[in-house]
Amino acid sequence: MNDDSLTVNARVLPLGSVPDDERLLDTLRWRLGLKGTKEGCRTGDCGACTVLVDGHSTLSCLALTRELAGSAIATIDAAESDPDVAAVRTAFARAGALQCGYCTPGFVMALAGLRKELGRRAGPPELLAGLQGNLCRCTGYASIARAVTLLAELDP
Amino acid sequence: MSATIRPDLDVKLRGAADFGVDVELPGMLWGALVRAPVASGRVRVLDLGPARALAGVVAVGPADLAELLPDRAESTSEPILPREEIAYHGQPLALVAAPTLEEARRAAARVRLEVQPAPPRIDIEDEFPQWPHGAATRSPSIVAHVLARHGDLERALASADRVVEETYRTAGIHQVALEAHACVACVDEGIWRVRTSTQSPFGVREDLAARFGLPERAVVVEGTWVGGGFGGKGAALLEPYALLLARAAGRPVRLALSYREEFELGRSTLPAVVRLATGVKDGRIVGRRVRLLLDGGSSLPGRDFAVGYSIGFLLGPYRTPAFEVEGYGIRTHKPPFGPHRAPFAPQCAFALESHLEEVARSIGADPIAFRSAHVWREGDTTPLGQPVGPFGLATALEGAGALARRWRATTGPGEGVGVGVGFWSTSTRAGGEVRLELAPERLVIVQGEREIGSGSVLRGLAVVGARALDLPLERVRVDYESTATAPFDSGVYGSRTVGALGRAIVDAAAGLRLTLAERLACSGPVELGVDDGEIVAVAGGTRRAIRALLRPEEAARGIVAVGRHYGHASEIDETRVVDGSFYPYTDFTGAAHVAHVAVDRETGAVRVVRYAAFHDAGVVVDSAMARAQIEGGIAMGLGTALTEEAIWSEDGRLVNPRLLDYRIPTMAEVPVPEIELIEGFAGAGPFGAKGLGEPPIVPVPAAVAAAVRDATGAHVTELPLTAERVARALKLL
Repeated sequence: MNDDSLTVNARVLPLGSVPDDERLLDTLRWRLGLKGTKEGCRTGDCGACTVLVDGHSTLSCLALTRELAGSAIATIDAAESDPDVAAVRTAFARAGALQCGYCTPGFVMALAGLRKELGRRAGPPELLAGLQGNLCRCTGYASIARAVTLLAELDP
Repeated sequence: MSATIRPDLDVKLRGAADFGVDVELPGMLWGALVRAPVASGRVRVLDLGPARALAGVVAVGPADLAELLPDRAESTSEPILPREEIAYHGQPLALVAAPTLEEARRAAARVRLEVQPAPPRIDIEDEFPQWPHGAATRSPSIVAHVLARHGDLERALASADRVVEETYRTAGIHQVALEAHACVACVDEGIWRVRTSTQSPFGVREDLAARFGLPERAVVVEGTWVGGGFGGKGAALLEPYALLLARAAGRPVRLALSYREEFELGRSTLPAVVRLATGVKDGRIVGRRVRLLLDGGSSLPGRDFAVGYSIGFLLGPYRTPAFEVEGYGIRTHKPPFGPHRAPFAPQCAFALESHLEEVARSIGADPIAFRSAHVWREGDTTPLGQPVGPFGLATALEGAGALARRWRATTGPGEGVGVGVGFWSTSTRAGGEVRLELAPERLVIVQGEREIGSGSVLRGLAVVGARALDLPLERVRVDYESTATAPFDSGVYGSRTVGALGRAIVDAAAGLRLTLAERLACSGPVELGVDDGEIVAVAGGTRRAIRALLRPEEAARGIVAVGRHYGHASEIDETRVVDGSFYPYTDFTGAAHVAHVAVDRETGAVRVVRYAAFHDAGVVVDSAMARAQIEGGIAMGLGTALTEEAIWSEDGRLVNPRLLDYRIPTMAEVPVPEIELIEGFAGAGPFGAKGLGEPPIVPVPAAVAAAVRDATGAHVTELPLTAERVARALKLL
């Protein structure tokens, strides 16, 4: 890994042909074909495009790809190997915490990032407070809140 | 709930569901729109030459339509691209496509466009400072008119102890599906094909065929996963543009809206003004006069856009012996009016419920007891003369009233509790068909809708199929086909999917049992079951595996049975209708909600502390999905109640076309609600099911407004109840 590349889901992406003003969201979706990351507002207001950059949840619509040279990006498309993403998915499945599913990748990655940041013992109030930047129009957040409670109960 | 229960959990949690925005075809171009820079005026010059001069760019303007669509009958259809007159700010005037989105946008910016602006009509009250009344009113701005009356209203109001007259105003609101509209189109060998995120593939096909002058078989619509619909994706929007570009380019074209464009040209519910005058005598309603001005945007004359449907909600599910209701749709320079989950019913419920609260207070009556005394019971007659069928709203209101009393006993200073009622009906008159395929190991339900998120397609229809044929749920799968081969269906709207397609499944299941009885050579009832992993049919002591009953030609799909359901409603009494179309109800569903709020006494900001919902749910098909719809509907309704408001400037621009300024509820603003499902009052769906997609949003603004009034005494007559409006009502500003 060096200044001219970044890794996405453990795959190296050389940045040579990436324009300076290309957003990470577009690199993921249209350059790499990783469509699991969703475009919502493209202005940083909805959270649908959240990915992990070196383990920190990041809005990929506001991040310039070239500025992330040297970083490791994890997206919903290939995050099976990440134990935090796996735990969040399990909690969401058990709680049935989605409807249309469009905001779901963003919620899963944001929550996985919170779990990394706050530790696996983080309680539901801390986790819920960290999800206020993710919008969902279908669920009314109730099932997502139940998933967060389940997540906090999962074995670390 | 687990992944086996909601079949789309796994694909969506892996990010593997392909929505409309995710479709990518080899060699596709990217489309962009050339949009009107003003809300009103005339196009003087539209020169696509500078765009076409760029390498790889294809452009389509109104002058190209005749060549691209030779069979189109221009005079009979809505203009796809206007030749001259601009209808609203941001209206598409021309289309371009290029190898990349940047190139397409650059080409769109190169189009030479000169317009002569004209003053737009924006505010319906500016347009009609004196309210129109009666058929004598003639104005080109009036594009819809309905009038109905019954009983002797003048005498009723003259004899009343008291007549309360009020005016309410409601804001324009947007669906805010997080996935903006997107589609990919291609035209090959005379087939116009589009993959699109839509609530109604067949509706889009019908619209495209009509507007393009094509036979329906020449148009194929293939639905994708839908990233939220809420009514905004029920009709064609981008599909005609994408197809025209694909036709001109000879290549597939992707067209997607930016989120700003989604706000500016998506079809949404527009502002309205409601006047209500209700007379009471001896504690009972004796009559009501209703006037409605509804902003229709640039809806065309003759297109009904909710006036005839919604105006009944201003009489409400309450006994009203004499009435006159009159509604106007007003043309303005905004995008055409579009449906938003239970179109305009939450706004009507807000106005009527707040008004009834005022009426009850004016005579010293308890507002909940006053409503209970008037709410319809089975056997009552609606204002337009339909008999009321099984209806659990009185039970719901009783539950809500009792809970409100308990909550009110524990509220602190600045807090209040309110109850709101909402009425709805399952729209099963819009029909649909299904095809059942019974294979040796599973039943497949083939139909024409994609899952939009409610679970009504993938989960709801599977539960109905399993129940109709006594099969375990894991043996039933719901499949989708494009309009080329799928059985017809009207679309996922109107809370109708489980109701209408569910009844079609029950119909098909009866046919399937007859086929099985024939093959078993048995006249008695046929039961299905599972033995050693195989589906078996049992009748009169005979037990045979489905595998053994298949004919050679059925090896691929299994035994096929088709079913259909086109629901009907009892007739309305046409002698009560003076002008326009009113819609009959197929069933009677509704809810009473309880909101507990805290109001900041310095800023007027409203916080929802607790929330509860009592729903007449007919016969519940699936409790988890029913509750999920109610949870989601409440959150959406809290946005309508408190923050959501599309604001247009005087020159017709949307001032707040982004999520930072058009605020929908976040996780911090929505409490997890308490929900009670009231069963036993059968509706129009299978087994007595009632639709639950829309009813949960209807009572929310009313309940919140009542709670704010309880907390502060502020009687706010305009939606949404922003901090500013509450503060003004409290004379803090």
